[in-house]
Amino acid sequence: MKFKNLFNPRNIFILIGIGIALAIPLIFNTSQYVMLLMTTVLLYAILASAWNIIGGMAGQLDLAAAAYLGLGAFTTGTLLIRWNITPWVGMFLGGLVATALAMLIGFPLFGFKVKELWYALSSSALVVVMQSLFMMWNEVGGPTEKYLPTGTSPWYSLRFNNYLPYYYIMLVILVVVLLVNHWIRYSKLGYSLLALGEDEDAVEVLGVNSQSSKLKALAIYAFICGVVGGIFASIYGYIHPAFFDTSMSMEITILGIVGGMGFIYGPAMAAIVMVSFREFLRASLGSQLAGLYLAVYAIILILVALYQPRGIAALVELGMKKAKTYFVELTRGRRADIKSN
Amino acid sequence: MLEINNLNSGYGKVSVLRNVTFHVDQDEMVAIIGPNGAGKSTLLKTISGLVRAQSGEAKFENDNIFCLSPDLVVRRGLAYVPEGGRVFPNMTVLENLMMGAYSNPGILKSGILEEIYALFPILKNRSAQFARTLSGGERQMLAIGRGLVSRPKLIMLDEPSLGVAPKLVDEIYEKIHALKRIGLTVLLVEQNTGYALELADRGYVIENGQIAMEGTAAYLSSSDHIKKFYLGL
Repeated sequence: MKFKNLFNPRNIFILIGIGIALAIPLIFNTSQYVMLLMTTVLLYAILASAWNIIGGMAGQLDLAAAAYLGLGAFTTGTLLIRWNITPWVGMFLGGLVATALAMLIGFPLFGFKVKELWYALSSSALVVVMQSLFMMWNEVGGPTEKYLPTGTSPWYSLRFNNYLPYYYIMLVILVVVLLVNHWIRYSKLGYSLLALGEDEDAVEVLGVNSQSSKLKALAIYAFICGVVGGIFASIYGYIHPAFFDTSMSMEITILGIVGGMGFIYGPAMAAIVMVSFREFLRASLGSQLAGLYLAVYAIILILVALYQPRGIAALVELGMKKAKTYFVELTRGRRADIKSN
Repeated sequence: MLEINNLNSGYGKVSVLRNVTFHVDQDEMVAIIGPNGAGKSTLLKTISGLVRAQSGEAKFENDNIFCLSPDLVVRRGLAYVPEGGRVFPNMTVLENLMMGAYSNPGILKSGILEEIYALFPILKNRSAQFARTLSGGERQMLAIGRGLVSRPKLIMLDEPSLGVAPKLVDEIYEKIHALKRIGLTVLLVEQNTGYALELADRGYVIENGQIAMEGTAAYLSSSDHIKKFYLGL
């Protein structure tokens, strides 16, 4: 693994952020509602960061996150309900099942060079297809919720009576996913993904097998979504076909784009800012007019698209550059003052 | 070195090339000239595997390359520099060049980058710059440089003078001439007939997807057809 560039100033800020995230539940006496909310924010941050690999780097407008997440949830849930297999194993099997489905879909799509809008439509159809399938498949899914047993040990069945452990599990996964992002970005695969996101024909005549690069990116993304799906099922304590949620897929893609395509920390940052903000709006405006928070949320998304099309991360980069020059000038000015005295 | 026999190609049901036959020998520079829409670019795209051929035969160093995928064609030593350069705008010049070594990263240790910088000194000065900041001529040089990184045996250039300031076209052509001197075989597609025939050893004229004329560069430049329709003499 290549971890050069890992310890630059930008990442020190990320480390501080992680430190704060670790400390929040310990310092503040947070309510269960706030814990669930923060866990949800992390869930979106993980999914948006995973999307960054296929969407931000490889430029494929994938809208199937919820399909892979749901499949991970159903695999983990069913294994626990039927065979009492711990979700610690189940979630990785869920990841593998999601990857298998992704390969099944990705192989023909990338083989026939389905791109851009057509890829987006095909992948978003996958979510709907999966939902219908699991709605009819009564042994596993069906229209009623199937509850996960609490069992004897909460650590074995991953069923806790508060959200704190889930929060920390999500935080660990987020750190791992960010590291995976970093590793891919500076690997040979990452360069091929970035290049094919820019110009697929040009990258193929340089000897890149674009189908295999895209499949690898899709596999990693689907695996992460599947694993997170397993924890998602554990948090909610049941599995239901409503987990195959088109609007969730949409939102993950939006967060990936708003965060800044290809910036490693952009999607996670966008998720933290936007999802917290959405929940804040929901809590404060929800009582006045149902759905108003979504309208306000949409207006903010439109504003970001209009004024910051390269994403929030690009804005932060610009701010950091300006701060740096400001400090350089400040120290220079001080030196000049000392000299003149 | 490169042999194409009765090649038919096109997009979907639209056929663009009809029974194209030509060959390029070792150490030769061959120009393919013809008007807009004659199928010159399609021909190179078909050879490089970007466009799927419908029928025919394509051999490179006696290996069959007919209908191979682009990444496999380039691995055999047949580089293709597409029309307009097509560099990656959001990557630096150095990263662009390194992408050329994708199929064989070990080649970077052989000093190929220094050789390319010697040929195109401007790329060395600009190596840390994003490719989007380059001018049309510099982009073209970067694209040719990127094609050279894999140490190909034959390089196919699609309209290297396109989108390049007239002042720089001479420079680009000097570089292409230099490629021949360092022992590369060059297949050049050009609309700029005068330049192409000045440099090439042999040429083919392609009209409406078919080879209309062929011969040495001297023969083509002296033919009435070329003089009248291409050189405007």
